[in-house]
Amino acid sequence: MEVELIDVWHSYDGFTYALKNVNLEFKSSGIHLLIGPNGSGKTTLLKVLSLVIKPSRGRVIVGGMDFWGLNERERSVLRRSVVYVHERPILVRGSVRYNLELGLRLRGAEVNEDLLEHYIARYGLRDVGDRPVSKLSAGQAKLVSIIRGLLLKPQLLALDEPFTFLDSTRASLLAEDLMEVARSDRIVVVATHYMHKGLSSYCKRVVELVNGEVTLHEEVR
Amino acid sequence: MSSTAALIAFVSAVALSAILARVSKRRAEMVLGVFEALVGIPTTVIGLFVYMLLYPRGPLGFMGLLYTPTAIIIGQFFVALPMAFTSMFRSFYDLRGNVRELVLSLGCSEKCVNKVLLRELTPVLTSAYLLAFSRAIGELGVALIVGGGIEGYTNVLTTAIALRTSLGDYELAIQIGLILLALTISLALMLKVFGERVLWK
Repeated sequence: MEVELIDVWHSYDGFTYALKNVNLEFKSSGIHLLIGPNGSGKTTLLKVLSLVIKPSRGRVIVGGMDFWGLNERERSVLRRSVVYVHERPILVRGSVRYNLELGLRLRGAEVNEDLLEHYIARYGLRDVGDRPVSKLSAGQAKLVSIIRGLLLKPQLLALDEPFTFLDSTRASLLAEDLMEVARSDRIVVVATHYMHKGLSSYCKRVVELVNGEVTLHEEVR
Repeated sequence: MSSTAALIAFVSAVALSAILARVSKRRAEMVLGVFEALVGIPTTVIGLFVYMLLYPRGPLGFMGLLYTPTAIIIGQFFVALPMAFTSMFRSFYDLRGNVRELVLSLGCSEKCVNKVLLRELTPVLTSAYLLAFSRAIGELGVALIVGGGIEGYTNVLTTAIALRTSLGDYELAIQIGLILLALTISLALMLKVFGERVLWK
């Protein structure tokens, strides 16, 4: 699974650009770190990379194909390889368990109960599994959103500020899980201000964005 | 009659919302503004408008619908539509964007958006139908003008109350009023409970 952004520009209002002339390749497995100040375009870049939004200009090449030039059916197939975890979790009405299974249900895939229980126990969500998501704390909601992404086992997992709202124990657990994902020959892209120590030492590449432009592009390992 | 009119208005409002959810927010807000203005329009004005359409020499007079239950349904449809549309549209618009983004972020296709959206909107849609029904069943102007209050044919609860009151039969008027009230409240409760159950399936 390879994703390449070629001359990508994106504007939400048609006047100002959140991304300007971005050229990046995500070809090799590992953790790719995306840094930059507030409003630098990190979230927009992640959304473009995750095939959630179509860039105003430029091409997104997925597996050698121009994604936005494909028909909806072909796009659906490629989309299954990519998952994006929002900074502010978007949860739907229903229980925690329902939300965790949502991605798999929508794809018509079987829920791996063992894996689901593993994550629920690991992140301490056992007591809240049957509770409505409206009763969760910000950190718990974030964890639901992250686990939902992990359960889908995508080839490219993009996470927007994944450590926000998490306590140090759960942040460490998450860092371990992300390293595990990267070790299993998959791409993890993390946009963050706060970088977990363990994860930063495992990071493969750092990309810095300032005002929508890539200002630093460095292979770390 | 009122439930049929409310149902048609509700379905039309859903269709209209689905169409407008795809246009720019500015344009959608303009349409919403028009409907918001129409919410408060007196039902007698709508009754008059439908009367002009259906009276024998009117554009739809050849259909012979005046003073029939169908005429009341048409009139109540116009009464209920703005209420149904304005109560659902903003949620529809905002939620659609969020749900679409969620579905795509999970690597699922656009086809799944409506499925998730419908479930998310259940409480809003339930309320919208209820409001449309309440507005339709509680109106008098349309039923009186295009229905005529013909006993056993187009005499609905509100026209019956008006007729009985004018005849000085207050006891029966109050009884019919209580039936109207009980009907509206029990339907509201039933739909709310049903809506909650659907959410937790």
